[in-house]
Amino acid sequence: MRGLLSKLLYFARTAWRGLAASPLTSAVAVGTIGISLVLVGAFALTLRNMEELLDRFGDDLRVTAYLTEGLPDGERSRLAELVGTVEGVERVRLVSKQEAMERFREGVGRGAALLDGLGENPLPASLEITLVPERRSPAGMAVVVEALTGLPGIDDLASGHDWVEGYLRFVALIRGLAIGLGTILVLATLLIVANTIRLAVYSRRDELEILSLVGASRSFVRTPFLLEGILQGGIGGAIALVLLFGLFRLVLPGFEFGLELVLGGATPRFFSGSEALSLVLGGASLGVIGSGAALAGGWRS
Amino acid sequence: MRDARGSGRSFFGARRPRGAAVVSGGDAAVRMFHASKSYSAGSFALRDVSLEIDRGEFVFLTGPSGAGKTTLMKLIFAAEKPSEGQIVVLGRNIARLGERAVPDLRRRVSVVFQDFKLLPRRTVEENVGLALDVVGMPRRKQRAKVFAMLKQLGLQHRRYHHPLSLSGGEQQRVAIARALVNEPQVLLADEPTGNLDPDLTLEIMDLIANAATRGTTVLVATHELGLVERYGKRTLRLEAGRIVEDSRPRSVAT
Repeated sequence: MRGLLSKLLYFARTAWRGLAASPLTSAVAVGTIGISLVLVGAFALTLRNMEELLDRFGDDLRVTAYLTEGLPDGERSRLAELVGTVEGVERVRLVSKQEAMERFREGVGRGAALLDGLGENPLPASLEITLVPERRSPAGMAVVVEALTGLPGIDDLASGHDWVEGYLRFVALIRGLAIGLGTILVLATLLIVANTIRLAVYSRRDELEILSLVGASRSFVRTPFLLEGILQGGIGGAIALVLLFGLFRLVLPGFEFGLELVLGGATPRFFSGSEALSLVLGGASLGVIGSGAALAGGWRS
Repeated sequence: MRDARGSGRSFFGARRPRGAAVVSGGDAAVRMFHASKSYSAGSFALRDVSLEIDRGEFVFLTGPSGAGKTTLMKLIFAAEKPSEGQIVVLGRNIARLGERAVPDLRRRVSVVFQDFKLLPRRTVEENVGLALDVVGMPRRKQRAKVFAMLKQLGLQHRRYHHPLSLSGGEQQRVAIARALVNEPQVLLADEPTGNLDPDLTLEIMDLIANAATRGTTVLVATHELGLVERYGKRTLRLEAGRIVEDSRPRSVAT
């Protein structure tokens, strides 16, 4: 156990010494990992917020059926009951003309006084149709809308499914871009880390030869380099996290209008603790994979 | 500690690594049976060498440059494998030694080189401690052991210095300290005094010879015949890759 601890201390010392021995090369590797992860992280952050918005949409997704003007109360109730039996409908709420006007009045706030000038209430009565959770998607909505289309007493049907569909396509596009760009960046980062570690191995070949002569095992020689990769990756990840947080706090407010379009007025949220940790660990993983690739078959005793 | 090693267990009593290719070897530290080494077809660096070096024996290896002295040493510490024949070092068959078993062998077979092979950015203490780092010796114990070894070689006051600030003789003493600190069973020295003045040469040779008196098998490659005569030890003479002479001292000396 003490032997293991001594070795771990030796590995940590040697890895740190390795980073310090070639500060410029190490800084380039750390910087590359940092920049790559800022880009990947920015995409992840955007996607995360957009998907969260979709989840919230899910709960709010409703179909509104506007009723024909002058439909008698009894007909309305019957129609509401009928709609309630349609597959995919969870519940139906009848909104009278008066209630619609009240809502509108609340919605316009101070401008409500203008409404007093209206002689007749122009708003139609409607049925607010909440869907069962499985149907709370653009496709699910479309099925319910189709089933309701043409029912006598229903003048018009409104649902956000076209909009949601478009939004989903946009999310998919961003996701595709993130995956494509992320893959390229990850590969580039791996190459840079691998190259950095290869240079480190090359510049320390005398040391490696001596270690081999005094009986160092392969893992004893390789571990400090792997650790060096982990450190580079972890530091790069941490820098990316700090930069992203800075951008999120300082730059984002300047893009409020654009965000409003993308996020629909929802307040954007930063990564959670575990997500932030994943970013740093992701960097460390890039580092260890890169250095592992550099060492694979690269050094022989 | 030496007993534990002799019993075939590693430094910390762990199992011998896979591929160690242990053979029963009697009392000899090094045995070669018709061993040859060629780097290119038809050109032999070492040819049909058979020899036996007992445990605790001190042997000189002489011969002109290019005679194969370094190749023979490389075969003993498994830096090379024989092209033909068998080599058994401390009971391990070098020809069949797996890569994983090499470090274990090298913790028992230390090497000192003409060019010292010290790390310039590490202190004397760290250079010597490398041999103990690889076996995971705790820092405090390691420092005590390194200090004791440096003290034996009169270098304790230099322990925080870097190699390049030392004289050639001191650097070679550091290399010897690194080679001996792990109490090896075999010490190989390849032209250890080749870069040193004559008076330093004797100082370094005395240190190496001293290791043999404590039971370490010592093999010194040198082309300085004056040294060989002065110490009066068994001498193997190599020429063009073959052993042409194996002379033993008339009286048994330590």
